[in-house]
Amino acid sequence: MAPTGKLKLIDRVTAINWNRLQDEKDLEVWDRLVGNFWLPEKVPVSNDIQSWHTLSEAERLMTTRVFTGLTLLDTIQGTVGAVSLIPDALTPHEEAVYTNIAFMESVHAKSYSSIFSTLISTREIDEAFAWSEENPHLQRKAEIVLDYYRGDDPLKRKVASTMLESFLFYSGFYAPMYWSSRAKLTNTADLIRLIIRDEAVHGYYIGYKYQKGLAQVSQTEQDELKAYTFELLFELYENEVAYTDALYGELGLTEDVKAFLRYNANKALMNLGYEALFPKEDTAVNPAILAALSPNADENHDFFSGSGSSYVIGKAVATEDDDWDF
Amino acid sequence: MSATTTPEVPGATPVPLQGVQLDYHALNAMLNLYGPDGKIQFDKDREATTAYFEQHVVPNTIQFETLDAKLDYLVENKYYDPTVLEKYSRAFVKELFRLAYSKDFQFESFLGAFKYYTSYTLKTFDGKKYLERFEDRVSMVALGLADGDEQVARDVVEEVVSGRFQPATPTFLNVGKAQRGEPVSCFLLRIEDNMESIARGINSALQLSKRGGGVALLLSNIREHGAPIKHIQNQSSGVIPVMKLLEDSFSYANQLGARQGAGAVYLHAHHPDIMRFLDTKRENADEKIRIKTLSLGVVIPDITFELAKTNADMHLFSPYDVERVYGKPFADVSISEKYDELVADDRITKTTIKARDFFQTIAELQFESGYPYVMFEDTVNRANPIKGRITHSNLCSEILQVSTPSTFNEDLSYDHVGRDISCNLGSLNIARTMDSPDFAKTIDTAIRALTAVSDQTDIESVPSIRRANDLGHAIGLGQMNLHGYLARERIYYGSAEGIDFTNLYFYTVAYHAIAASNRLAIERGKAFGGFEDSKYATGEYFDKYTDGEWKPATERVAQLFAAAGVAIPTQDDWRALKVSVMEHGIYNQNLQAVPPTGSISYINNSTSSIHPVAAKIEIRKEGKLGRVYYPAPYMTNDNLDYYQDAYEIGYEKIIDTYAAATQHVDQGLSLTLFFPDTVTTRDVNRAQIYAWRKGIKTLYYIRLRQMALEGTEVENCVSCML
Repeated sequence: MAPTGKLKLIDRVTAINWNRLQDEKDLEVWDRLVGNFWLPEKVPVSNDIQSWHTLSEAERLMTTRVFTGLTLLDTIQGTVGAVSLIPDALTPHEEAVYTNIAFMESVHAKSYSSIFSTLISTREIDEAFAWSEENPHLQRKAEIVLDYYRGDDPLKRKVASTMLESFLFYSGFYAPMYWSSRAKLTNTADLIRLIIRDEAVHGYYIGYKYQKGLAQVSQTEQDELKAYTFELLFELYENEVAYTDALYGELGLTEDVKAFLRYNANKALMNLGYEALFPKEDTAVNPAILAALSPNADENHDFFSGSGSSYVIGKAVATEDDDWDF
Repeated sequence: MSATTTPEVPGATPVPLQGVQLDYHALNAMLNLYGPDGKIQFDKDREATTAYFEQHVVPNTIQFETLDAKLDYLVENKYYDPTVLEKYSRAFVKELFRLAYSKDFQFESFLGAFKYYTSYTLKTFDGKKYLERFEDRVSMVALGLADGDEQVARDVVEEVVSGRFQPATPTFLNVGKAQRGEPVSCFLLRIEDNMESIARGINSALQLSKRGGGVALLLSNIREHGAPIKHIQNQSSGVIPVMKLLEDSFSYANQLGARQGAGAVYLHAHHPDIMRFLDTKRENADEKIRIKTLSLGVVIPDITFELAKTNADMHLFSPYDVERVYGKPFADVSISEKYDELVADDRITKTTIKARDFFQTIAELQFESGYPYVMFEDTVNRANPIKGRITHSNLCSEILQVSTPSTFNEDLSYDHVGRDISCNLGSLNIARTMDSPDFAKTIDTAIRALTAVSDQTDIESVPSIRRANDLGHAIGLGQMNLHGYLARERIYYGSAEGIDFTNLYFYTVAYHAIAASNRLAIERGKAFGGFEDSKYATGEYFDKYTDGEWKPATERVAQLFAAAGVAIPTQDDWRALKVSVMEHGIYNQNLQAVPPTGSISYINNSTSSIHPVAAKIEIRKEGKLGRVYYPAPYMTNDNLDYYQDAYEIGYEKIIDTYAAATQHVDQGLSLTLFFPDTVTTRDVNRAQIYAWRKGIKTLYYIRLRQMALEGTEVENCVSCML
């Protein structure tokens, strides 16, 4: 990537004191993100190798391309997106949360690589990456978002970032959810559900911080930002529809994915504090996909079927004498 | 599936299995989304079942003109095992199939039907067409188990088709088929502290995974990291590399593609490698030592609790030294009994850790991975009616049997064949068993069906298992649908009535199970090998039933038994049974074990095992199923109150319920503990202490539920709301 001008850093650093919170939400989200920490090695993706070979060539191609697209977005979010939000942070704790988000986005990007290296050959991986380099819609999507990250407006950056976290990822997330509802690639789906679990919190948090920031600017600016948000959404949506068709058209899934896109576009708007854009009837997502999206850690699995996406890092507290009173 | 020849498929029309219209998966998923009126859409699941049959099952099932044509085709094309059918006249076989069909069986949930057709029913060798309906499968299992006895075959059909008794997956999946694995659920092996035993253990793990259910191995006897080899210090690399070898072995072996091999390893709390063993499940463990798919269990004696109580150090003892000093393997020495002696003995190398740190580490790992399982060693051995020592449990922590070591020659052949463990499982649906026209007969039939599996099993590849099975005929009668039954009767799980019922139900089952095994011993003129050394033979086992009176503590439970026409055995009944058992023995070394019942409880429309539902609408994920939604049995929009989930109910009530059942079960019960993710390791430790104090024998998984952060949840999702 070409240099983009001067390196922006925050001006001064105050030692972060987690005992003096300006915003309780920072700690709540921090705790949630830390509790959700995971690494791709946790999920036995190799158990999907057999399943992978039951997919048709077109299905495999679609899936591979979906993952290269997701890799690109997570790379942007990890190396540019979340990092670019840090100088705008309102509290030191917000900064800390962004550093966590940035790190986890890099974990996500690496996860796709671990899926690739498990399921497909190096040649196929290279071809898929070449496709993603050349796909105009994917590149356009990256460009739009990157432009805002490089721009000067902290609130617009948050809008772009929320769009990415809550909306743009989902054209890609559709595929693994679709497969897992059909008993294919279920371990890969576990891994993706861990990513969705993270992105749901990221989008929610950045949107929340946007709303906080929005409350501090004038009405005119607020109106402008709202108009800007919807404009951006339209632009992204149009591009996303074309991207979706390029990915899913051959398999006849485009319409279903589009409903899913609209559903998530509304979700992104909701995270930013705006009303829904698409009417309910246009967001009738296939229930099998919708029900699979739940970020709760509540599924029941057996030991023959992988690790599930349910465990978290717990809070360690030593036992006291009265616990052992027997 | 193993591909042999692809048969001609008459009248087969392929149907596309994919599509984006509202198919059965979508209808099923609507169970997890509230309807417009804010109610759970139970009707959508029924629509899903209908759609599944119409769109998928019927078009993909091969139809035959007559039953004769079907049976001939299936035998000729090597789908059915002819030796099963040859034991009966064709007329009887047809009568039996008609009996099964006359019961008007229907799947009560989409998942039940989907699971059955995905995992159990007979398919063409290319996996594309179905050859059996549920009734066919039941009939073949009955014919296989009855081994030529027409009455037994009829009884098994009656009990299974009516949903009262459901054989475990390996039995129900395999019996009657020509290409199949073993009908046995579960194997447990010892590993001793030598290379031959380790190698033989790995071989056995491969062989047994290939043929049947899960395998659990005991690692406690293996010398620790840094122990001497041939008296040279710091040579051994301990248990971790053995675990790695086992993990890879299980990944390699699978049962005709039916499911991945699965394995568990158990290690004693006072083994010096215990912390390393636990750390293999850490989120950030190094790849070289990380264990992903192998299940872990720890064996904890009473002394560890006593040491934690005083916040003392716990000593870890070198198994290599203990075996040299005591002349027997580490796991066969009672650490609680010998603790002070071991600490004082200079010949034994020891290290120490803080006992409370040990418990806290277990809880931390359980947060991250759900593991380890726990076996309370001294509780288990005190309750064991059989002579010998129980050193570990199995993959589901419900099998508790004695074992003895084998010794090997250098070429890995057996020098002495010890006893390892296998167990055949099957479970009763508590609700339907209470509805049974003849409670005693239901249990008698179940015991006979399970015994048949033992009689027909001959695991040649692992002689120590074959020998133990030949001698012991151990079986494990399980139970499921406790929560479903209680809710149907409008009783809260864990309430005084709920616990009272559990106690009396298990009490009554124990009586009939022993009586059935006693009848088998009389009929066959032989008891299990080692009966004469058991507490059954001395009569000691019966003391608690003949000395004390067991009767309902609540009016409601007395009513339930009276209304069901189920007689609660009296002290005199037990006295008579005791006399007969002491005279004739019982045929089965072990009788009961309550497994977690995943798959079979869906087919059978039960809640799993005897724990509460994990959710009103359960999300089930399996490799072969994907994500599917399952409504709790008998639940309607009017009785939701009685379906509080396990996280709401909390660990005390679950443990109290299990404690009531445990006192009547000779082996173990899989007990999962459920926590919201807001708890700390201290809460988990307290639950473990509570379980140990209440006389629980083993703990299975720890399960955590993390709710979505407010603002990130999916709208209208049933499982997202409390």
